[in-house]
Amino acid sequence: MSAGPALGLRSSNAGNALELRGVGRLFGALAALSDITLSVRPGERRAVLGSNGAGKTTLFNCITGDFPPSSGVIRFFGEDVTAFPPQERIRRGLRRTYQISSLFTGLTVFDNVYLACRGVSRNRFSLLRPRRDEALMQAAESLVEAVHLAPVRDRLVGELAYGQQRQLEIALALSGAPRFILFDEPAAGLSPTERRDLVHILTSLPSHIGYIIIEHDMDVALRVVESVTMMHNGRIFKEGRPEEIETDPEVQELYLGGAHG
Amino acid sequence: MSSFVARRPLASLLILIAGALFLWLVFAVWTPGMEAAFGRKRVFLSALFNGITLGALYFLVASGFTLIFGLMRNVNLAHGSLYLLGGYLGFSVGSATGSWVAALLASFVVVALAGILMQVLLFRWMEGQDLRQTLVTIGLSIVLADLLLWGYGGDTFQVETPAWLSGPVQLPFAVALRSNGEAVMMTYPALRLAIFLGAVVVGVLMWLALNRTRVGMLVRAGVDDRDMLSATGVRVQLVFVMVFAFGAGLAGLAGVVGGTFQSLQPGEDTKILLSSLVVVIVGGMGSIPGAAVGALIVGLAEQFGSVYMPTYAVMLTFLIMVAVLAVRPQGLAAVRR
Amino acid sequence: MAVGTSPAPLGLTDPRTGDAAGAIARLGVSFWVFSAVLILMPLIASPFWLVQIFAYAAILGMIALSLMFLAGYGGIVSLVQMTVAGLAGYLVAILGDSAITQISLTWPWWVAVPIAILIATLFGTISGALSVRTEGIYTIMITLAIASAFYYLTLQNYTIFNGFSGFNGIVPPRFLGVDWRGTNAFYYLALGCAALAYWAVVYVSRAPFGLALQGTRDNPRRMAALGFNVAAHRIAAYSFASVIAAVAGVLLVWFQGQMSPGTAGVGPVVDILIIAVVGGLGRPIGPFIGALVYVLLRTFSLDALEAIGLDGKRFQLVIGLGFLLIVLFSPGGLIGIYERLRERHRRSQDTRAATMNAAGRGP
Repeated sequence: MSAGPALGLRSSNAGNALELRGVGRLFGALAALSDITLSVRPGERRAVLGSNGAGKTTLFNCITGDFPPSSGVIRFFGEDVTAFPPQERIRRGLRRTYQISSLFTGLTVFDNVYLACRGVSRNRFSLLRPRRDEALMQAAESLVEAVHLAPVRDRLVGELAYGQQRQLEIALALSGAPRFILFDEPAAGLSPTERRDLVHILTSLPSHIGYIIIEHDMDVALRVVESVTMMHNGRIFKEGRPEEIETDPEVQELYLGGAHG
Repeated sequence: MSSFVARRPLASLLILIAGALFLWLVFAVWTPGMEAAFGRKRVFLSALFNGITLGALYFLVASGFTLIFGLMRNVNLAHGSLYLLGGYLGFSVGSATGSWVAALLASFVVVALAGILMQVLLFRWMEGQDLRQTLVTIGLSIVLADLLLWGYGGDTFQVETPAWLSGPVQLPFAVALRSNGEAVMMTYPALRLAIFLGAVVVGVLMWLALNRTRVGMLVRAGVDDRDMLSATGVRVQLVFVMVFAFGAGLAGLAGVVGGTFQSLQPGEDTKILLSSLVVVIVGGMGSIPGAAVGALIVGLAEQFGSVYMPTYAVMLTFLIMVAVLAVRPQGLAAVRR
Repeated sequence: MAVGTSPAPLGLTDPRTGDAAGAIARLGVSFWVFSAVLILMPLIASPFWLVQIFAYAAILGMIALSLMFLAGYGGIVSLVQMTVAGLAGYLVAILGDSAITQISLTWPWWVAVPIAILIATLFGTISGALSVRTEGIYTIMITLAIASAFYYLTLQNYTIFNGFSGFNGIVPPRFLGVDWRGTNAFYYLALGCAALAYWAVVYVSRAPFGLALQGTRDNPRRMAALGFNVAAHRIAAYSFASVIAAVAGVLLVWFQGQMSPGTAGVGPVVDILIIAVVGGLGRPIGPFIGALVYVLLRTFSLDALEAIGLDGKRFQLVIGLGFLLIVLFSPGGLIGIYERLRERHRRSQDTRAATMNAAGRGP
């Protein structure tokens, strides 16, 4: 099917899926990230929480390679990817969704998913038209089904409702053979029914796929993860299990009661 | 600059040595050996100063162009036509009144008005549609060029140099030694000297306006981030109109200047537009210092090219542009984001 | 960054584009009528119309199609397409036979033409490579600068390009037993090449490559995030477009019989953009319609203008005003106007059907 990374599991570093050591990111004089050190095991589900400006999206941007960190090392499944461009990290199984849907509005739903599946395969430059039963076409079909978008598969994305666009956003991240996904506020703007749908989709992902989710909606976030990292002013200030974090007095002061708007 | 020197000591040293060599070339009297190798010093100095004054003209045109793009993301391909319009107008006003200064003022004002009309009647309704704005400027340039052709015909015009600027001025650069050991000093047309000084004054005034006034600060902020500009609550459209008017007026003024020490004819609009394109590609879009640097480089390249390798002068300019695109696509003065 | 509407994406599995046989079966009546008219044209039209109007429009249409492919599907507005065509034309004159015997190498046409197309395509690709690393809006500037540099090169260089006078005495060859210089033969040659180019664009636009190109138009950042090399795709698009422009350039030099700097000057370069925009960047047929309008205007404007009492030389003014009108009021070009009318017609038919149904529902 698509070219999943031919790396296999590296046995060094206790086989972490994602590992950050001392990662920092400066914007001029502003330290958006300082000394971030964290590790996530394969298949682990984690939430990164924090108030606005805590550095969560910057963290994601560093991990995906939108810009390089000012300091520190990033390892993905044991491989040092700190200097890799985004395409290289994608091809090794990293995926990401965006806070503001980043879709191809001039193309249909199916085309969007097909492109996503195509991106990590070989033959990206193919000038030939695929046949209906071609493997990638099948994969795209099942993905469209998996995110409940089959009824609108030939609709232009620009004409979709907001909730449907968010579903498509997730479909793009599930394309190819992802090993690790970064979800950036997937619940933003969704109705209660759509949130339940989202929780269902997230919890029914294959268990080998780990993810980090940034979310303001604690309800959604704490129900789909097994560990939580709290950030504040570009630093990690607490880590633990969802129940622990929920009841931690410092967290309540800083995030739930205080700075969180 | 000290950080530059600190980071690249070798490059800085090389630049220093090259600069010293250059200064020596300019100020010393050339030995016969040197003249055999480089040609006559007068030719060299001519090319040098003509290049600088040509660069001054290009700066006047390109700075308006780059401002308009930097703030409004509008690639104004009608800029050359505005130059020609100002030139022809200046010629008419100059012939009618006999005053060069009146021609300059009239061109600036009229072409600035044209710019206001363009922004208010057309571009304001196409906010954010960069390509569409550019296509409109192309259409306008075609219409304007044909109207000018209709009005002024295919002849070549030249704006008359005012009496107080004609004639040569002596410069402190020696070109040769007379047999009695006295140095022969270089003379240079006062007009070109005045143009160079004028461009410098305009450049400095623009720098002051951009960096020391409130409006200038808004313009610079807008160049960096247009959404942020509208967030400040200022009347964005008013700033846009002012900038477009100023840029256009400057082009019109440059038309009179160019029409004085060069000439005006159909096709001049395309030539000056293309030169401006190369200037801003080399110097960096949206940057006034970049326009100055780019204009100087392009002016010098064109002049030295036409003197020392006439068949391929244009290719030299073009090669510089390609080199900049290959190595540093955002332009020489652009900030690396 | 497209003006007006992007080309309608029929998608990979739109039932209308299922397979070849099915696709052909579903072509409308209008397509067959239109094709029949084109093929039978030599029976109806005079040699002047066949060559000076239709063949010329087909050639210009191909160059404009090359621009439309990049602009409509890739969001890239490139002004270097006419230059690519001009270079190809020049190379045919230089490598093949012409009246300028001190320069022309008199290679046989089946060597000269492929090499000309190859070199011109290479030139187009390199131009693309230079401009894809900058933001979209710069492309127009950079390609315009490249085009003008080529113009000045051909104007000032006498050893290769013969400067101001250029080349003349270039004729289409004889092959397959046909003298392609003949009126009908050349008409069919131009028509055939144009049809081939048209079909190639339609096909590629719906292949994964074309789809990915449209992706880079809509959201380049996301394409990179999905694993695509956006710059490589764009450069490849330039290559594909340049092939079309290069073939058109060969036809152009055969049509004109001569090649000079003015053929690929700034005026013609901008004219191609005008043709593509006026025709419409939304569908591949747009550039050909724009080219036909342009050729008709250019041929008959002298008489038409004088008939209204204006100076016949004001052709450029007419072109400029017409272009402005289109950009201001119908950015989708003439195709856009046609589609809006068709939409309105369909909507009025629907309402009429609906009212009839409502009225018919009686006791």
